Amino acid sequence: MSWMTLPRSKRVQPDGSDPAGSAAADSAGRHGGSSDGNAGGPAPRKPRWRPLGAQPVGVLFSAPYLLFVLAVLAYPLGYAVYISFHDFFFTAPGVSVPKPFVGFDNYIAVLTDPAVIRSFGNILIFLVINVPLTVALSLVLANALNRVTRLRTFFRVSYYVPYVTASVAVIGVWLFLFQQNGLINSLLGSLAPEPSWLVNSWLAMPTVALYVTWKQLGFFILLYLAALQNIPEELYESAAVDGANKWNQFWNITVPGVRPASVLVTLLATITGANLFTEPYLLTAGGGPDGASTSPVFLMYRTGILQGNPDIAAALGVILVIGVLLIALIQRRLVGGKEE
Amino acid sequence: MAQTLSNDDEATEAPATDRRRKSDVVQERHKLRPGSLILLAVGAFVFLFPFYYMFIGSLQANPDTSVAGAFPQPGNITLQNYTNINSSINLLKGLINSGIFTGGVILCTVVFGLLVGYALAQLSFRGRGVVFGMMLLVQMIPFQLLLIPLYVLIVRDYGLGDTYLGMIVPFAINSTAVFVFRQYFLQLPASLFEAARIDGASELRILWQIAVPLVRPAIVTAVLLTFIGPWNEFLWPFLVTKEQSMQPLAVSLANYISNIAATASNPYGAILAGACVLAAPAVILFIIFQRQFISTNLGSSAKG
Amino acid sequence: MKRAFASRTLSIAAIAAMGLSLAACGGSDSGGTGASEEASSGPIDIWYSNNEDEVAWGKQMVSSWNEQHPDQKISAQQIPAGKSSEEVIAASITAGTAPCLIFNTAPVAVPQFQRMGGLVALDSFEGGADYIKKRSGELASQYQSQDGSFYQIPWKSNPVVLFYNKAIFKEAGLDPENPPLGTQEEFLETARTLVESGAVDNAVWPSPASDFFQSWFDFYPFYAAASGGEQLLEDGEATFNSDEGKAVAEMWKKIYQEGLSSKEVYTGDSFVDGKAAIAISGPWAIAAYGDQVNWGTAPIPVTEEGAESHTFADAKNIALYSACENKGTAWEVLKYATSEEQDRNLLEMTGQMPMRADLTTVYADYFDENPAYKQFAEQANNAVGVPQAPNSVEIWQNFRNAWVGSVIHPNDSIDEAFEKAATEINKLASQQ
Repeated sequence: MSWMTLPRSKRVQPDGSDPAGSAAADSAGRHGGSSDGNAGGPAPRKPRWRPLGAQPVGVLFSAPYLLFVLAVLAYPLGYAVYISFHDFFFTAPGVSVPKPFVGFDNYIAVLTDPAVIRSFGNILIFLVINVPLTVALSLVLANALNRVTRLRTFFRVSYYVPYVTASVAVIGVWLFLFQQNGLINSLLGSLAPEPSWLVNSWLAMPTVALYVTWKQLGFFILLYLAALQNIPEELYESAAVDGANKWNQFWNITVPGVRPASVLVTLLATITGANLFTEPYLLTAGGGPDGASTSPVFLMYRTGILQGNPDIAAALGVILVIGVLLIALIQRRLVGGKEE
Repeated sequence: MAQTLSNDDEATEAPATDRRRKSDVVQERHKLRPGSLILLAVGAFVFLFPFYYMFIGSLQANPDTSVAGAFPQPGNITLQNYTNINSSINLLKGLINSGIFTGGVILCTVVFGLLVGYALAQLSFRGRGVVFGMMLLVQMIPFQLLLIPLYVLIVRDYGLGDTYLGMIVPFAINSTAVFVFRQYFLQLPASLFEAARIDGASELRILWQIAVPLVRPAIVTAVLLTFIGPWNEFLWPFLVTKEQSMQPLAVSLANYISNIAATASNPYGAILAGACVLAAPAVILFIIFQRQFISTNLGSSAKG
Repeated sequence: MKRAFASRTLSIAAIAAMGLSLAACGGSDSGGTGASEEASSGPIDIWYSNNEDEVAWGKQMVSSWNEQHPDQKISAQQIPAGKSSEEVIAASITAGTAPCLIFNTAPVAVPQFQRMGGLVALDSFEGGADYIKKRSGELASQYQSQDGSFYQIPWKSNPVVLFYNKAIFKEAGLDPENPPLGTQEEFLETARTLVESGAVDNAVWPSPASDFFQSWFDFYPFYAAASGGEQLLEDGEATFNSDEGKAVAEMWKKIYQEGLSSKEVYTGDSFVDGKAAIAISGPWAIAAYGDQVNWGTAPIPVTEEGAESHTFADAKNIALYSACENKGTAWEVLKYATSEEQDRNLLEMTGQMPMRADLTTVYADYFDENPAYKQFAEQANNAVGVPQAPNSVEIWQNFRNAWVGSVIHPNDSIDEAFEKAATEINKLASQQ
């Protein structure tokens, strides 16, 4: 399959935080494919033969970027796959010990580890809560935001603030709010869950999902807002003429109109879920209670760095990536099928 | 998709007809309803309250988790928490480290991004397709997979543990930024550059003196987008920096939460004080640039 | 099977360096562990703990050494702070930036460091093994690696005991001078009384987090006391899947079920803040608790009345790292820092127990003057360390997972969880 069919899943950013730019990437990708005509190959502007194209200096301009890609991405990528197939561990410089090829041993170790299975299950819980909640809340709030003119900036800023703030900082407050004797439980009084949120096997992962939804909602609200403003008003007008009520209008015009934004939500949620680290590490004190909120990346850290088994961690990473790509593809088929 | 992400009302380059349509829309359909306003107000409360609580909590001499504790009480206010956390993790040093880390990433992103973005958009050279294809591929590689090998490479093979370079390197290239730049450069007419070339200007000079000034908004976008990443990044600098004097604030604060807090007299106050210091620069920066941020962030994608 | 090559190569290198002739298969081109062929001398760098008292001790040790050895100066710094010092040390071994000596090497991490080629076998120095055995006596064997070498010198222990809050005990109607904490049964009863009387929210509050080392401060001391001083592993076999081990687990399960301890991690010190009436801590806590709480101490409860109590040693040792250039000096410093005089300074300045066979006799005067510490010195000889087995961090993580999943959050039965953990741990421990 060619890379052009996969631009959707490329949104895996190192920091996982700038999906908007990736949206730019999409259009750019399409642009490159269409208006540029032939993005591949040295589009010759002059009939004269030049071995490096009309402006060979372009190679020079691209060189630092390419070097970085090779050094920081391509090489480690190959290295990760290599590590995952060998009995590999960290050694002091100058110590050379055999690191024999072990076939799929590391992969078997990963897939038979109940903690790993659990962490993938946790991503599923995360998705089941995060995606619908994000879609529903951001659609509702974006809709409301679309109707007000005053205070609009204020609302937008306030929704965006959690998104731009470091997770480490806001987790401090969430700990404070959601602990046993925290404000949330004080407000709930006798309705407070027992055991409390973050140490309750049933509630820990939902709380993490809720936290992430809260943190990222502002971004999606703006995304939906842009999508809403792009639905041609005529559609609503003609629907109104045809006698469609508000609900019908919403269902038949608004929802399909924001479909691309919804696709983006599900994709980003998958990637965020697979990437969770700070939340289980700090909010639930290491994926607690009893592994109810571990994430694959947290396990990679624990096995690879803490316990000194980078080989198993690398295998987990490879599986994780394949999994994310698969889910992304499936989602693309299911949700975004009509899109291109 | 590109179209749907396009303008919000502040997209200044929107065609006049479009703008007229929009203002009609606001009047006709988008009448202010009390329901919407209440909904929005509730939303804003939910989003802002934790920040308010963060600030109040950071000022409390004794943590008060009751409902009354959410209101400032004159008798329970102190700056002691800031002093306390500062004595164990040196906030200023942490902020400086965060700043250097973030600044380094932004600088690399912009410099490399401009170079390659310009090359892809306005230069014709052998291998352009390869570069472009690689850029798409790169975006597909998740960071998690690279975590372990990068750690081995950076800390061990390149010997960059506990250095700013070690923190910055994995984030130094940002293909998203390259896309943004390429997109903006594509809009510039090629004739502009041809003229300069005929005058004998070097490509670097053309880029610096002609192209870059024309794509300032793209640079602002890239800077703002890039800022959030490293400023808030936790996992990578956490792995690479073990020496406290090198840790960005997010890392030292996390270490404080999971380790040292146990011995403090009012750990929550101290944690929240640290959180305020960590959150403030990003929030302030965002509020200052909010207009830029919102319009360019989402609008940039469609301007091609 | 996995690690067969690794540790064999390493140990071969170590033994070869000792000058023993050995029929070895597999080349030992390992430059890391091959110790002190020349044992050169010169300046060295060391790390010590970032705990205030230990820093003070380290400073005086370094300056008195430097005065006497101007050509072999020590430069010292605190261990760079991280989540845990083990992580920091592992990273610095990998990066080749480890110092010569680290005065805060956790025994649990030693097998891993050794496997990484980061440590020097101390036996490779002349009289090395004898020195260690002579200083620490019987205790030394607990810190011997599976290949028979010492990659660490047993330095100091922090035998944990029960600290209890006298005021809370009094309020709950318990005798603060002679509290009923002798047996596990009494401990449980006392915990119930404390909470039911309303004197305190939690009788005891060890961290319920799932970090691998947290079991050292709930299960392990109680297990040591109940089993008469058994380690988690003996001869490479898990011991905890026994009646004693399960009885300890059952008791803690009741504590959590009846709400006598919280399942949440406490941010802060629950004992100092009066949120818990009992703490499980080592002698370092005497200074930390100071006057903030009116406390008393009691040994870890045993199963049957009158039995001798054992506990967890919480030892921190000194190891010599292979990245060191002047290993000769490092070895001399190591001996100097564990001399009778420096050990006395350590005891006086930090309250931690040097792991000396003659602890109570040679410093008898100190313990007469500071009776609060006497109990710890007595416990020190009955203190159990962590087994020196391969994959020891992973072993403890396995155990911790079983504990969290069956005792704190009873999702599994203790029988099943312990059985499963024991099987898994035996497998890990046999991976040479």
